Amino acid sequence: MSLESFIAALDAFSREAAAAFASAENEESLEAARVKYLGARSGQLKDLQKGLGQIAPADRPAAGKRFNELKVGIEEALRQATARLKQGSAAGPRAQHFDPTIPGTRRRIGCLHPLTQTIAELKDIMGRLGFTAADGPEVEDERHNFEALNIPPEHPARDALDNFYLAAAETTAGAASPGAKARLLRSQTSTVQIRVMEQTTPPIRIISCGRVYRPDTADATHYPMFHQIEGLLIDRHVTMADLKSVLRLFARSFFADDVHIRFRPSFFPFTEPSVEVDMSWRDGWIEMGGAGMVDPNVLQAVGYDPEEYSGFAFGLGIERVCARRHGVTDIREFFKNDVRFLRQFG
Amino acid sequence: MLVSWNWLKEYVALDMPVEQLTSRLMMAGLNHESTREVGGDLAIDLEVTSNRPDCLGHLGIAREIAVLYDRTLTVPPARPAQSPTPVGRLTRVRVDCPDLCPRYTARLVRNIRVGPSPRWLARRLETIGLTPINNVVDISNYVLMECGQPLHTFDFERLAGGEIIVRRAAAGETIEAIDHRVYPLGPQMCVIADAERPVAIGGVMGGASTEISPQTRHVLVEAAEFDPISIRATARALNLHSDSSYRFERRIDSEGVDWASRRCCELILELCGGELAEGVIDVGAPPPARKPIALRLRRVPQVLGIDVPAEAIVRILSALGCQVVERSAEAIAVVAPSWRRDLTREIDLIEEVARIWGYEKIPEDASVPMFPSHRTREDRVLDKVRGVLTASGFDEAVTLSVVEPALSEALSPWTDQPALRSLTPVLRGADHLRRSLVPSLLAARRTNESLANEEIELFEIARVYLPQGAELPREEKMLGVVSGRGFAEVRGAVEAVFDSVRIAGIAAAEAAIDLLDPAESCCWRRGDALVGYAGRLSAEAQARFDLRGPTVVAELHLAPLVEAAQLVPQYAPLSNYPAVCRDINLVVDEKVRWAEVATVAAEQCGPFAEEVLYRDTYRDAQRLGPEKKSLLFSVVLRSREATLTNQQADEIRQRIVEACGRRFGAVLRAQ
Repeated sequence: MSLESFIAALDAFSREAAAAFASAENEESLEAARVKYLGARSGQLKDLQKGLGQIAPADRPAAGKRFNELKVGIEEALRQATARLKQGSAAGPRAQHFDPTIPGTRRRIGCLHPLTQTIAELKDIMGRLGFTAADGPEVEDERHNFEALNIPPEHPARDALDNFYLAAAETTAGAASPGAKARLLRSQTSTVQIRVMEQTTPPIRIISCGRVYRPDTADATHYPMFHQIEGLLIDRHVTMADLKSVLRLFARSFFADDVHIRFRPSFFPFTEPSVEVDMSWRDGWIEMGGAGMVDPNVLQAVGYDPEEYSGFAFGLGIERVCARRHGVTDIREFFKNDVRFLRQFG
Repeated sequence: MLVSWNWLKEYVALDMPVEQLTSRLMMAGLNHESTREVGGDLAIDLEVTSNRPDCLGHLGIAREIAVLYDRTLTVPPARPAQSPTPVGRLTRVRVDCPDLCPRYTARLVRNIRVGPSPRWLARRLETIGLTPINNVVDISNYVLMECGQPLHTFDFERLAGGEIIVRRAAAGETIEAIDHRVYPLGPQMCVIADAERPVAIGGVMGGASTEISPQTRHVLVEAAEFDPISIRATARALNLHSDSSYRFERRIDSEGVDWASRRCCELILELCGGELAEGVIDVGAPPPARKPIALRLRRVPQVLGIDVPAEAIVRILSALGCQVVERSAEAIAVVAPSWRRDLTREIDLIEEVARIWGYEKIPEDASVPMFPSHRTREDRVLDKVRGVLTASGFDEAVTLSVVEPALSEALSPWTDQPALRSLTPVLRGADHLRRSLVPSLLAARRTNESLANEEIELFEIARVYLPQGAELPREEKMLGVVSGRGFAEVRGAVEAVFDSVRIAGIAAAEAAIDLLDPAESCCWRRGDALVGYAGRLSAEAQARFDLRGPTVVAELHLAPLVEAAQLVPQYAPLSNYPAVCRDINLVVDEKVRWAEVATVAAEQCGPFAEEVLYRDTYRDAQRLGPEKKSLLFSVVLRSREATLTNQQADEIRQRIVEACGRRFGAVLRAQ
């Protein structure tokens, strides 16, 4: 027998046996097919094996290799057919009626508020730049919300209509508390900077983050309560170049893009120079927030020598960042807590 | 501040495209809001920050342009011709309240002709949104918008007694202003009066009785300085804000008062004719001399991070109007111009240098040294808490910290003190600083119910404000949970929070909170301190919050968790022998509590105790007897030394049954 005709016989056998195994409807017909093709005594494979002996000695190794491949392949086909029938016999009609497109039992995972997610991301990035989170009270006295921030009593920013002052302290035991000081809901997180500086010596790198309150009428871009994040860095030899560079590192990390930073002159009582910070975005610039070098008066108010130490501060509104990030067009949505809204951010 | 392009050309040459100009101005601190064409002119809207009142007039803006483009600024000399009659012979001025009006000047122009303004003047005013009235009024507005100094003109013949008295208003006095509305005045307000009555609200608005009319023949020109705080208070109290009050609130140029007065008179003579009485009545102390400010040149790179050549520093400051009075290799000293009261310190000068030199020259790739930072303990614990809650299927809410009185009063488990209140509501009636998160979350649940939303499972982590008399309140972070699930499930979620931070020593007890169903509520204590509570709202509370379905709430004080959390778990060596489990079913009196039984069971297991697990409680008055229940629980036992035998496990089980028998009169339930 020539090698070609032997291989042709092998292929024909292989196709026929595989088809027989695959089409076997029950264990009996599969067993019959097995005996017919692979049976130890009179199976067709046995006949083919005998044929191997009639191949020319030179072609015998190639033919033997081919024979072994076929044997492995056909035995695998038998194994699969056996497994298929076994499964089918265990399930019976259940297997045929099984619908693999029915979803599994999912445990619903709750969603973190988008503001929480944005805050976490901002804190994370600032953490990598060496800034540790610091915290302070939301109800503040005038020293921390104004005086130490270089906002003197006659400053318009202290006006009762621009702040949420609290009603005077409740009287205790019928006597008005002596020297009751005005208290208010903080209008900025810069108050935390003062508290940290009062208790720490430089170098300082902190980020303060939290709720602030301003009497704005609620609309798509304003809410009387919102969140701010503010960074403060105090050390020797700190310059505006450091400020610009830290903000750029921050923006590049947050937007994962090679953005640039632009300063425009501005005015804040607690920084000098003060700037508005813009970031390059597509073909233009978008506002990031306010920043500046900590005013020497602020450094003095917390007992630092402005000749020895300098530093910068920057702040941004979290709702605005978050809204831009997720495409939210009305910041009131953040506080309505409609679960359909919250679940968009899981 | 609206400026007219054509008007600016009076003072500085403008040959650049308007877009280029506004962009330069923006980069120097004047934000560009818009540019609009008005009758062949351009009205440019620029945002002026509160520290730069000098830019509240065309001259101020022109000066910035002159500095930025290195051009000449032309300021009109304002030298009107005077007639021989001295003004002091024609009128008198007395200032009774120098604290409210430190300076008052008056000039008098007689025999003028009131009529419409010439076209050029009317156009300029129209460009910046002002309505022309008559030549005299228009001139005073023009000079206001030229230099930023508000002026007022009085019909001199209608001033009773022909004199001006600057004083506090008497209680009960009123004035009809030129807007023809009557305003009640008070003693905190500064009025300009004649011999009989107020004729103007000083620095805010003139009065109708002496306003310039076509019949006016003689005009008294007021140029004064008013106290900014008093002006702000008056404008606020009367809800009357004018171009004039806006500028006085931000302080005017004390040394520019007389120039404005002369400029106004010059234009009146030019456009209305008449004769200017000789001299000026000038009441009040002259402004104090301006002190030199030293600028150490080395401070410029120390602050900005870039070098600016000394020549450039001098050029910039000089162009801005500073007078260099001293100069050495290390430092210069300058006297700031009178219109720049914001320049008092070295750092203020450095900012001026920076903004004109250009912030774009500051590099954005400086190498900032590395610095260690850490995530705070609180943030790490809150992450775990949030993780447990979201994994349990709760969505995180953020609600307003301030609530309506009814919500505030509904629940206050953390303090007996009344809530702090803001003087004005933060939002629609919400003026109580919350003492619990739960009412806000119940309100959020109701909002969701009204939208027929499914699965309203909310939590929030935020502060409550616990009053402490005159001190700042104690602000405590809380976890609030509001749910439509069963009590046991919500309670289990809170207990999983405890587990997540491995806090020990938490004991459960009755909640005793009015709002909660006593049969389905509990509180947690650690020592004596309340750590939290959970419970199903009573039917009454559910109705009070207008909720449709049964609602379970929980609130947890997070500070003890932050304090006690074990954030770095420690390894305990594992036993290599298998565990053995025994179930026990004890019949006890109703009053016996699971926690007591569990303690006794654990004691009896001794070193073999791995876990004591509650399984279930059965009640059956017929089989168990009245006031009895059976507690089914399991103990998991394991030895470190050997495999426990069945016999050993049975012995321990027996010891537990006996100990519980002695302690609680418990008996093993017959199988």
